[in-house]
Amino acid sequence: MSAPGLENPLSRALREKTVLVAVGSGGVGKTTVAAALALRSASAEGRRALVCTIDPAKRLANALGLSELGNAEMRIDEALLRHADVPAKAPLFAMMLDMKRTWDELVERSAPPDKREKILNSRFYQALSSRLAGSQEYIAMEKLAQLRARSDYDLVVLDTPPTAHAIDFLDAPNRILDFLDTDAARWLLTPALAAGRVGLRFLSFGSSYAAKTLSKFTGAETLQELAGFMLSISTLNESFRQRARQVGELLAAPSTSFVIVTAPNPERLDEVVHFHTLLRQNQMNVAAVVVNRVHPRPTEAQRADATALPEPLRGRVEATLDELQALAERDADAIAALRRACEPTPFIFVPRFERDVHDLTALWHTARYLTGDLEMTAP
Amino acid sequence: MGVLSEQRLWVVSGKGGVGKSTVTAALALASARQGHRTLVCEINVQERISAFLERPEVGPEIRQLDPNLFAVNVRPEEAMREYALMIVRFERVYRTVFENRLVKYFLRFIPSLQELVLLGKVLFHLQEKTADGRWKWDRIIMDAPATGHAITFLNVPQVILDTVPPGPMATQAERMRDLLTDPQTTAAILVTLPEEMPVNETVDLYRAMGRQLQIHPRAVVLNMYVGDRFGAGDLEQVPASLRDLVRDHMCREELSAKARARLEAELELPVIAVPRLFDRSIGRRTMETVAGHLSPLWEGSAS
Repeated sequence: MSAPGLENPLSRALREKTVLVAVGSGGVGKTTVAAALALRSASAEGRRALVCTIDPAKRLANALGLSELGNAEMRIDEALLRHADVPAKAPLFAMMLDMKRTWDELVERSAPPDKREKILNSRFYQALSSRLAGSQEYIAMEKLAQLRARSDYDLVVLDTPPTAHAIDFLDAPNRILDFLDTDAARWLLTPALAAGRVGLRFLSFGSSYAAKTLSKFTGAETLQELAGFMLSISTLNESFRQRARQVGELLAAPSTSFVIVTAPNPERLDEVVHFHTLLRQNQMNVAAVVVNRVHPRPTEAQRADATALPEPLRGRVEATLDELQALAERDADAIAALRRACEPTPFIFVPRFERDVHDLTALWHTARYLTGDLEMTAP
Repeated sequence: MGVLSEQRLWVVSGKGGVGKSTVTAALALASARQGHRTLVCEINVQERISAFLERPEVGPEIRQLDPNLFAVNVRPEEAMREYALMIVRFERVYRTVFENRLVKYFLRFIPSLQELVLLGKVLFHLQEKTADGRWKWDRIIMDAPATGHAITFLNVPQVILDTVPPGPMATQAERMRDLLTDPQTTAAILVTLPEEMPVNETVDLYRAMGRQLQIHPRAVVLNMYVGDRFGAGDLEQVPASLRDLVRDHMCREELSAKARARLEAELELPVIAVPRLFDRSIGRRTMETVAGHLSPLWEGSAS
């Protein structure tokens, strides 16, 4: 919660920033928070907004009236917003990032025509584009840079893949630059290159001690194929490099802010703190830590009302209140520890709702908590 | 005998946030207390098991947590080193070749190599023997990566067999696949929550295990189960201040019952419900309670 008299940090970010990046581990409601922020930006701030989601729950896509979110940006129907009593000052768009296609497009744009097919068909490329640590994170940021460069939107809110290790996210542009470091291939292949036999068919590993040892490990054919792949991707070098640099710059730009999303589970604390520390160390701007699904403490009035009930209902209700109390206390412990570790970043709390956010009304309700229209007292 | 009996490798699988680590820790505690020398393997994650058992954090070296209970956090770098040393045999050769910056870089691009060495380390411990020829570990419990990743992870031996030409990697992969798919050796335990998305993912994972992975799931743990408490008519009797509270609870009761019914209908597995717990801090006591709920798995009343 913001200190009295200070503006809600997310309202302010929604007005001033051009990019918001929602980060955090899986299963904390990150996609919902990203969608709620974009909705609020369009509806309340009158800024044309896009939310780019990674893997939205079907219900969220349905909530936005998009039974199937695709790789293309889709406009949310204003009639739906009106129907849910949500103002519509500016248009709202949503899309789902198709990682594979975005990677393919990047290669198609960057590689010389004669190398494209060869790269796209290599199984090493498949590994790079799907499984290399940071590659999903990178491609999400790449999409962001593309969207930003077109400047069709006043604000782009980016949802991100659930990241097991925060460093995979921040380091992604560097790792991709690493990927272009074809010194490794050259070094392993030096004898063949020196002999002027650069054609793949003539590559020979025989003369390198390292290559010989490595081939014991991987098999000679695998190694040879990999070396060939690395030589062919070296052709994408310059444009790729430039791109990765731009992505890195965009993340660090003053017009970009991060929103860390977490649930109040004590076992997730370390991850959040780690993420927060890394972002700050890298001079990234953190707008707020959003603690989602917080259990509210039962009120005195609820306790009093419960005692007035007849048995056995009274016992049932009191047991439920006791459980809620226990959960709220567990959350309070976790939140207190988190706040201490993330000084001075502002915190915003969203209560746990009865059900997952499954329609526009619920999404708008979430947005009102995020931007301070509604406030949840920190437990 | 319960559904988990002779298998020495228990693979605990499920979506992130469903309580996989909790179930792993509780299973490990129970297994160790029954006198089985047990090793818990967490795979390249923020290590949690030790905290659940109120012990200092476990790193890449095997550490004893309790009598008969050991744990290790399997991470790619160390696993790669051990794997490489098994093949090249000499530390000096390893250092010259594998610690070379360029070689390290090179290895990152070999598809599935990282998963192969992580899984390889777990399966290496499974086959370890003592000087007198007995198994070093009576039981290994693996906290598998989250669903999606889990399928990719457990399918790595097959992927390698399909794509890598015959050679040392393929030979390793074949042995690994055989261990994972042997129903006498490996049992998978699926963990889920009484909510729509996690249940869907569990059904998908179950099917993938049967068709694609040939790994045998033995039970599904439905965590944070909310049992029946309120009846019809209760909601109308409570004042407005308590209505959301009661409605919320009823909604969770319904979700829990629905999830159980769906899992029972679609999975040919015993469904073990673990109720939602309200301990202020999660520790040994919580793990003991969870282990108590899981006991049908080895005591035989699960059906």
